[in-house]
Amino acid sequence: MRTGVVAVALALLVLAPLLPRPANAQFSFDARRYGMGGVSLSRDGNARRYNPAYRAVKNKSHVAGAPRFSIPVPLGLIQFFKDHPINKMSHDPMFSPDSAAFNPIAMMNLVLNPPIFLEVKKAPTPTNDVNFTLGRNQLVIDLGASKVLIPEQDFGLGTTSRLLDAGFGAAGFNVGVMGFIQYDVTFNLDSTLRNFLTKDSTALPNTAYFVNVDGTAQAGFAPTVSYAGRLLRGAGGDDTDDGFYVGGALHYYFGATYARGVGPAGFTTGNPVLGSAPTPLLNGNFYTSRKPFGKGVGGDVGVVWISGPFEVGAGVNDIGAELTWDHTKIQHFFYNTTTKQIVDTVLVTDTTSKTKLPITYIANAALQMGTGTTVGGDVINSGRGTVIHVGAEQRTGPFAIRGGVSRDQRKKMQFGFGGGVRLGPIGLDVGFWTHSNSLSTQRAITMATSISFY
Amino acid sequence: MKALAAALLVFVAACGQGRAIFNVDVLSFLSSSDSLKRYSVPGGIPQADSAFARRFYLPPGFGKSAIDSVSATAAASVIDTSGSGSVRFDVFFAKTQAAVFAGTPYVTANSRALVAPDSVALLPPTTVSLADTVFNTDTVWVGVRARISTNIGPNMAGRFRLTTLRLRIVVADKLF
Repeated sequence: MRTGVVAVALALLVLAPLLPRPANAQFSFDARRYGMGGVSLSRDGNARRYNPAYRAVKNKSHVAGAPRFSIPVPLGLIQFFKDHPINKMSHDPMFSPDSAAFNPIAMMNLVLNPPIFLEVKKAPTPTNDVNFTLGRNQLVIDLGASKVLIPEQDFGLGTTSRLLDAGFGAAGFNVGVMGFIQYDVTFNLDSTLRNFLTKDSTALPNTAYFVNVDGTAQAGFAPTVSYAGRLLRGAGGDDTDDGFYVGGALHYYFGATYARGVGPAGFTTGNPVLGSAPTPLLNGNFYTSRKPFGKGVGGDVGVVWISGPFEVGAGVNDIGAELTWDHTKIQHFFYNTTTKQIVDTVLVTDTTSKTKLPITYIANAALQMGTGTTVGGDVINSGRGTVIHVGAEQRTGPFAIRGGVSRDQRKKMQFGFGGGVRLGPIGLDVGFWTHSNSLSTQRAITMATSISFY
Repeated sequence: MKALAAALLVFVAACGQGRAIFNVDVLSFLSSSDSLKRYSVPGGIPQADSAFARRFYLPPGFGKSAIDSVSATAAASVIDTSGSGSVRFDVFFAKTQAAVFAGTPYVTANSRALVAPDSVALLPPTTVSLADTVFNTDTVWVGVRARISTNIGPNMAGRFRLTTLRLRIVVADKLF
């Protein structure tokens, strides 16, 4: 157990650069979107998810000549199964923890970056030697170039998803139920640990090195009343989508369950620093709902304005969504240095606690500039930071070229470019996209391919 | 120690094809009674041993790892306060206690013929063993032996002090 506590804490630390950012903002099976740096010029997907006003807008792409739907060509899977044959998977070192070649980092990378598309340029990982100097009076870790992997700020993973959104209605009004799931885990390196790993390299005696962890997960459903409609019609009249649209939704949240853990995890050195085994450090509280139906009220709002070739929209979700859980148990976990076991004690058997759903939002704009050119951009926050996409598409006859840039949640610039060709009802699109999800400070390039049907 | 070692390995796993190099000051983990031995052996004894074996822990991943190389560096000093003879200094590593002194020593050095009050440093060269399987384990035993041979005459007495015992273990990759 002692091994696990420290190892898991530091494993998460090392994994920080590849922990998943809210994927729905960037991940797509559409090569056209990859080619435009992640921006979506259609009215489905993120626009409809985050902006309730889009429910009143016809669900068609406003891009001239855009396909009805696309399916991915998973070249990455072909390469993956070539490297890892299915009939040999039980003996594949990648999936066999007992194998000397098993590497959990590679396994995690696989989970977080599914090999759907072909990785044409893998992100190089630091290949320097790492030196450990161990003695009764010294613990020195020289990570060399790998120091850049140590995150300087908070890091974590989390997202808010609406797994279900069903209902019925008329005249713009809709009554339904929405299912939600939200999780968020944040890790913060204590400054002592960060300095140890990135600067000093030498551990001090009687010193605690730890990561602060704060994680929450909750799920439930919400009966919803919503409205979406066109308030003003544009110059184009009823035959066009021109106009000003508004949308709003009121949710009454019923939380099914939730859990939250808060506290530090790490280890404390002895005196001398390795005179005795470093003591695991674990001291946190754990909150769990004893009964379902945490309750709360929140809402979504959104607007869309369409005028000829120009379209702009903005939507905000889960405004004021705070759930009150009337039956919460609070436990305290700590590592007992005497018994060398993790001990949990119940602090409060039944009390009230509150959780929040993070506010998520989108702002998007698109402009058809004529002569087959469309430009667009969006700003999306799905719960853990803002992602910005800007992209353009130029169509000339059966051909299309695309390009775009984005700023990901790590505030790194990413780039996309690509093209496509349409042959009758079928089109083939290719998109190249840089990303920094891998365990590296450098960008990788993914080539996405998809077939579109018109 | 095991917990720390396990945590350290996480960093190594993040370093691509890089190697993990563990420089371990084994001597610092030994007690003073281990590093300093007093001996008194009657004259005319061809072989008398003063030895000890201690277990220490390696990172758990070593059990599954490919050890690239192991370099052992050791040094000792002998002060002969009476009598005459010679001392051979051996350092062993093994997976089990029973096997510690059964194999070939990693490091060995012979003193010249000693006559009181000689004082001599034993400085064997660093040895390097490649693809060493002894270290493919989570625990390893270290054994240090002073093999004393005395000349006919009075007791040979003195002190044997271990002054350096370091390991440099290079692990290729895949520590998990």
